[in-house]
Amino acid sequence: MTAKDNSSADDQTLVRAAQQGDMAAFEELVARHRDKIYARAYSMMRNEEEAIDLSQEAWVKGWQRLAQFQGDSSFGTWMTRIVINLCLDQLRKQKRQRTESIEAMDAESGGVERQMPVITVNPTAGLERGELRQRIDRALGQLSYEHRTVLVLHEFEEMEYKQIPKTMECSIGTVMSRLFYARRKLAALLADLKKLDSV
Amino acid sequence: MDYNAQLKLQAFLDGELPKAEASEMASLVTRDREAAALLEELRNTDKVLAGFEGGIELPESRDFFWSKVQREIQRLEAPAPKFAPASLLARWRRLLVPASALALVLVTVVVLIQPVGQFGRTSAADIETALADAGAFTYRDYEAGTTLVWLSYPADNEGAESDEMGTFE
Amino acid sequence: MRAKLIAPTGLGWCAIVLALFAGGQFSTRAADMKLQAFLVWGTDDGKPPEGKTYKPVELDVRQKLKDLPLKWTNWFEVNRKDFSLAQSETKEVPISEKCQLNLTRFVRHEVEVTLIGKGKEVVKRKQSLPRGEMLVLGGNAPNSTAWLVVLKRLE
Repeated sequence: MTAKDNSSADDQTLVRAAQQGDMAAFEELVARHRDKIYARAYSMMRNEEEAIDLSQEAWVKGWQRLAQFQGDSSFGTWMTRIVINLCLDQLRKQKRQRTESIEAMDAESGGVERQMPVITVNPTAGLERGELRQRIDRALGQLSYEHRTVLVLHEFEEMEYKQIPKTMECSIGTVMSRLFYARRKLAALLADLKKLDSV
Repeated sequence: MDYNAQLKLQAFLDGELPKAEASEMASLVTRDREAAALLEELRNTDKVLAGFEGGIELPESRDFFWSKVQREIQRLEAPAPKFAPASLLARWRRLLVPASALALVLVTVVVLIQPVGQFGRTSAADIETALADAGAFTYRDYEAGTTLVWLSYPADNEGAESDEMGTFE
Repeated sequence: MRAKLIAPTGLGWCAIVLALFAGGQFSTRAADMKLQAFLVWGTDDGKPPEGKTYKPVELDVRQKLKDLPLKWTNWFEVNRKDFSLAQSETKEVPISEKCQLNLTRFVRHEVEVTLIGKGKEVVKRKQSLPRGEMLVLGGNAPNSTAWLVVLKRLE
């Protein structure tokens, strides 16, 4: 297939060609989905360089495992699962300082978010898209990696509750608690950021 | 609302409740202001997050990123570099030295030779023997198995204009 | 190291066994050590200088360099040499017009590494290089860039 053919071919056709060793077809797939894969890695790692490296690694693994792709999900979804697993491996390997604050301990037992007042006004109303994205970015960066991960898996990867425990190696109860905490914490952070920015 | 009820509300929002429980929650939300407000907050958060990743772009050009991916694929698929095979004689020798003979060698060495004084060799990962550069420092990453020796070569007061390593021009 | 020899009494048969089984050699021959040497250019620019076709370093090298306390964000491979080093062998490995590595292998994984730049010794170092180990020698280069000589033991 020529480069022109590749750009107009659908993912399925490109995957089939790539499975036969057509590197140009795989390059087209990379071009199409690279932003999505990078975005997923960035959401999890919160570091541009790490996200680029892990994206690159994910694509290499994708090429190596192409024969295993059966089309049960879309190619993009299959690739995001690869990058998510790489990110999780990396996060586990990294030695992260975990502050043993009361809030952190409460986060697991379900204490802090019970006391949080409900945010009744949408803290992002009236914001431009770019500004909103920046605010969300800052807020996400303030979550712990466990809370951010469960949020990414549920909200961005659209995983069901029962799928997340295996990925995160925890119980479904923990998944639900972390997700609840992450959402409430994010709402509070966005509201605080709005207050700070308007001062 | 107690904590379990709050988690159930979340599950209701996410479509994770069985039908009967979902109906119960739907009814609760119409009666209970706190539940309704919490549901609204959770919904707003979801709306805010939707499409967040859509604006994130990989900050490298298509060609550059692809060249790295392609190169890595080719490196992993390349056959291992060929090295000169061990000579036939060397292979024979290895075959002809069973473990017991090796043990005898060790016993013989230990029994026959008694070192006097210090060996002077340690099993440390690295030993510097001579450093022409007083401004150098060494850094060791034990986990990655990497040692960095950073030199002040070329010296700051010399050759700042020229490329001492000879290949960057 | 000074050694004192004790005359064997009743252990002469060890020598006979050794002669029979080891063909007169004391030690088994260690496998050749497989190494790669790279000359690397470090920069914050996203691409090599005009007219140069340097490629980014491989992912595994990049990841290791990233964990070091070096400020540059991009690493490009200027030159690479693959070679092997037998026990007790000394080898000269030119990695650019003006610099080379002299390597001497000692027992097990120990290697004496000498970096020669413009005919002068820059650094001499004894380094243990088990499988997967990497030695990085580096310094500043013009225009706020860096040069590295990376010595990597292959798996």
